[in-house]
Amino acid sequence: MNIGRGERRAGFLAGAAFLRGAAFLMLLSAAVPNRAVLQAQTHVLIVSGLGGDAKYKKSFASLADSLAGAIGTRYGIPAAQVTWLAEDSVSKAPRFRGQSTKANIERWVQQTATRAGAGDQVVIVLIGHGSGDGEDSKLSLPGPDLSARDFAQLLARFPTQKTAFVNLSSASGDMVPVLSAPNRVVITATKSAFERNESHFAEYFVRALTADGSDTDKDGRISLLEAFKFASAETKRLYETDERMQTEHAQLDDDGDRTGHPDPDGKLGEGAFARRFFLDAGVSASRAGVNDPRLGALYTEKFAIEEQIEQLKARKAAMPPNAYDDELEKLLVQLALKARSIREIEGRKS
Amino acid sequence: MNRGYIRVARIASLAVALTAGGAGAQGSPLSEARDSIRTGKYKDAIAMLAKIGPADTEWVDAQRELARTYATVGRYDDAEAVARRATSAKGGAFLWNTLGEVLLLRGKRAPAESAFVRAVAEHVPDSLTAALNLAVVHYDRGDRARAMKEFDRFIDVYNAGGDLTSDDLVAIATAVEYLGVNDPQLFKDALKAFDKALMADGENIEARVKLGELFLDKYQFGEAQKTFEEVLSLNPSHPRALLGAARRLEADGKPGVDSLVRMALSVNPDYVDAHIFRAEQFIDLEEYAAAQQSIDRALRVNPNASRGIAVAAAIKFLAHDNAGYEALRQRALALDPADAEFYATMAEMAGHVRLYSAAVDFAKQGVAADPKSWHAHGLLGMNLLRRGQIDGGKKSLDVSFAGDPYNVWIKNTLDLLDTYKNYDELTSEHFRFMIEKSESAVLSIYLKELAEQAYSTFATKYAYTPPPPVRIEVYRSHADFSVRTVGLAGLGALGVSFGTTLAFDSPAAKDAGPFNWGSTVWHELAHTFTLGMTDHRVPRWLSEGLSVYEEHKAKPGWGFNVTPDFIIAFKTGKLVPVSRMNDGFMHPAFPQQVGLSYYQASLVCDYIARDWGEPALLKMLLAYKEGQTTEQVFQKVLNTDIKAFDKKFDDYVRARFASAIASLPAEPPEIDRRMPAQELLRRAAAAPGDFGVQLMVGAALAAQGNLDAAIAPLEKARSLFPEYGGGDSPSARLADIYAKKGEDRKAADMLAKWVTLTETNYKGLLELATLLEKLGDLRGAAEAVDRAMYVNPFDIALHQHLADLYKAVGSPKQVVRERMAVVALAPVDKADALYQLALAHHEAGDAARARTAVLRALEEAPNFERAQTLLLTLYEARNRSGERTP
Repeated sequence: MNIGRGERRAGFLAGAAFLRGAAFLMLLSAAVPNRAVLQAQTHVLIVSGLGGDAKYKKSFASLADSLAGAIGTRYGIPAAQVTWLAEDSVSKAPRFRGQSTKANIERWVQQTATRAGAGDQVVIVLIGHGSGDGEDSKLSLPGPDLSARDFAQLLARFPTQKTAFVNLSSASGDMVPVLSAPNRVVITATKSAFERNESHFAEYFVRALTADGSDTDKDGRISLLEAFKFASAETKRLYETDERMQTEHAQLDDDGDRTGHPDPDGKLGEGAFARRFFLDAGVSASRAGVNDPRLGALYTEKFAIEEQIEQLKARKAAMPPNAYDDELEKLLVQLALKARSIREIEGRKS
Repeated sequence: MNRGYIRVARIASLAVALTAGGAGAQGSPLSEARDSIRTGKYKDAIAMLAKIGPADTEWVDAQRELARTYATVGRYDDAEAVARRATSAKGGAFLWNTLGEVLLLRGKRAPAESAFVRAVAEHVPDSLTAALNLAVVHYDRGDRARAMKEFDRFIDVYNAGGDLTSDDLVAIATAVEYLGVNDPQLFKDALKAFDKALMADGENIEARVKLGELFLDKYQFGEAQKTFEEVLSLNPSHPRALLGAARRLEADGKPGVDSLVRMALSVNPDYVDAHIFRAEQFIDLEEYAAAQQSIDRALRVNPNASRGIAVAAAIKFLAHDNAGYEALRQRALALDPADAEFYATMAEMAGHVRLYSAAVDFAKQGVAADPKSWHAHGLLGMNLLRRGQIDGGKKSLDVSFAGDPYNVWIKNTLDLLDTYKNYDELTSEHFRFMIEKSESAVLSIYLKELAEQAYSTFATKYAYTPPPPVRIEVYRSHADFSVRTVGLAGLGALGVSFGTTLAFDSPAAKDAGPFNWGSTVWHELAHTFTLGMTDHRVPRWLSEGLSVYEEHKAKPGWGFNVTPDFIIAFKTGKLVPVSRMNDGFMHPAFPQQVGLSYYQASLVCDYIARDWGEPALLKMLLAYKEGQTTEQVFQKVLNTDIKAFDKKFDDYVRARFASAIASLPAEPPEIDRRMPAQELLRRAAAAPGDFGVQLMVGAALAAQGNLDAAIAPLEKARSLFPEYGGGDSPSARLADIYAKKGEDRKAADMLAKWVTLTETNYKGLLELATLLEKLGDLRGAAEAVDRAMYVNPFDIALHQHLADLYKAVGSPKQVVRERMAVVALAPVDKADALYQLALAHHEAGDAARARTAVLRALEEAPNFERAQTLLLTLYEARNRSGERTP
């Protein structure tokens, strides 16, 4: 029986590879990690703004601290690439780098722009109270505030990098059209500057990145899209449970169309870029062990099967349910077997 | 059709002073008499008018007022004699119309018609009113075409302008109202004419009363109430205004109806419409003998009162007197062969006592008799909906609404039907469920299981199976449920059973407050069986009593339970006796009485089951099916006179709750929580048999931190009234104390007792589950969480935990159910939820469903390692067993 299964599997894979032809080769060139990806680094700036009263001061600092910590421990990003600027000028937190003033933020941007290579990821996360509207939407900071326009100018310093601008503050929604740009994920906690009430989205977004439960595609990594969707869903659930009218509606834009979307599906248009945006991009790629030629081949085949699955899913509505499931099962079994082989070589246990 | 926003706009302010204007020379006897009439001092008015002699220049006017006043107080013979005598006197032609109106009140249609004809011919000042009355006579005898032409002429009169009196404008308004059947917009013109009549004469009470009645007929209850109040503020004895106000209260289900009707009848003991109204109320109470007495009185005064004949026919029909019904039907049709209202009234009455199929049949006959009877179309639609025939019901309601767009019940219902596209329709063996899409997945998991379980239980017990499918509608909005049930928002109930169509609030209906949706389903399904097996003849109280009785048997804590309010109401004689139990539901004497009546009715069932055996309850149902009255049923089945049963039941309750009755004070004791412990203990020692004192002392001591000292009074309180399950019950307080003392076993025991006394104790159940889990009783914990799901099934984490508990105790089917619930609640981590479901199916031995679920999980997350492992396990197992392979 075992031999038989193996023979069928081998035959099937050969057939699949043969059938995919040119399109398959194109996919490989995009999917297989290369040296540029391996060397890609992530640079993170976390800014916690003015709290106003003790409750928010504590809450903003706590969120920022735990996010900064997880970025180091959970995502393996070197401490030198993680900066947390906070309302207080003094802190013993490991990744605290100073007060969240306009000057410090601008300084970080200047330094990072010099340091970051092409293809690196630059992530800015803002936590705090928002104010203003339109291009003048701001994050409240100690001293002069930074507006949407200011942030747009700062991010323009990263023309060859992938950027993510995550504004978890209240009244942040109007920043979407100002910050929207190609190769950039923009996330705001609200849909406009008019949603000024206390925002809970930040808590859940940070939880998505720091705890289990948001890796919904089970690839072992949390994309910005997954974190966004997790936080959106949990925020909604919070209001429903408390029987309150929801006063914050988070938005995501990642195709540069200057329009935020509350529920991007991440398949083709809105959300597709965020789905592939991982904080641990460089770290994960190095774990993939692409230097082992056996693994390279296995990953190539695995990615090909994944693509076939996506194509099959796109045809689902047009297929009889049983036929669809049979096809899906075939592909999923192949994928599972491939994943098992990869794990065996990588020495991981399932 | 655009149903828009219903509102009958008033064109002019009614803030015309009622005391302004008026005819008759100031200070003359006639003027003074009219003042007395206006203020309801009818006796004074009659005395004053009788003194005005024939030689007096005001004599003719005085006779008119006298005849009308006699009619108002029910002295119809005197009224007729006065009017008749005056018509033959000089200048007395003015009274022909009055004579006709008086004759009509006695049902003397032919002489009334002659009198109206004469009034018109004589061109008397009120000839326009006489012309109207004539048209109404034609209309009422079925000569619709002629009548409508006559009504139509009133529009010409109005449009011609001229010097129209207030009474003329009332006549025009009334005619236009009749024309409204062809063009509902004309009701607005009728309103304008009434307003103009009141502008012309602010003291025209007839105009104001008729205006109130128009508002009432067009469902503008607020305006109706305001209008009747305007009349009654000046004349608190106006019988028609009193009855109008009563009808308005009844339409809104508000208390005070009886006293208003009694007041109307105290002014006019022979007020036909009031007696008919009372008969209808008695029908609602299923007291057909009393209804018959009222209707007999009405028909004795006016044997041709069409509504009275219809109500009399309804009584015969409901009492299974088919010959009597047929005779009355013939009598109604002899008066008016196109009398759709006869059938509509039959449909209304049948619907009121839950005979929805009969209501449909009658409404259909009404539609056939007069296709323009929008009332009959509406009743047909509403009753078809109650029978679960949604498409047919909607069609009839659309017709009705097109003809009468003012009916708020129908408008609301049609608006609700428009939302049905947002519902899923699901089926199980015996049921069809309609649940809003957003919650159908999770609710159906529990609902299907529960409904089928109830079906099986009741089908066996009652030896009856309802015609399939039983339709269950679940409303996420309490307002929608309320509209489905009564056409208006604001219903206090949580569920309704129309027989094989049930509707109830979803547990997500926040506006309904916390409730146990499982017990609600059980309760309403019990109705389906008790209604069905009796052909809907079971009286309301017994059906409700049995439903609560069945809830008690289904799960611990379910159903109404005894409360201090119940005990005190019993002690103070506020509960109705069994012989009048429907009163407790239909005409509650105090706000809490309906709720108490449910429990009381269940106690009646408990008592019968205890002393006569449970089969006696079934025999009672069968006796009702045969058409026997409650008196006959008690005599035949229980071999007891109903009055004697009242006494026996009283003794039963007194014995069953002897301790609670003796220990519950009528007023709460005066215990200050800040009292020193010594004083508190002294008070407790001084009143060992007082539940309130013991409970409050225990609570005060516990609040002060004297946990050990609090135990004894709380234990005492519990022994005095062990059935009490409120939030401040001794069991709850003791559980809290034991938990604080770290005595988990005792705390769990107390919680276990507490949660069996109420059905909505979500918090208590979860606390109990936590404690039991801590104590290692995982099965007990699972049971407690399971019960909590019938209060709130929407907590994902709780379902996950329950799945884990069931897994730990080896209940794989329950694990599957809980995992299904998690998936249905759309968790963020959908892939994991689906994987857990697949695993549950796999562990329950259902490989096919496990495969489907794991495919769905991997469809979401193709690289989900654990799901991949399960997929391979399933796949390889299937291969080993020789099934197909990819």
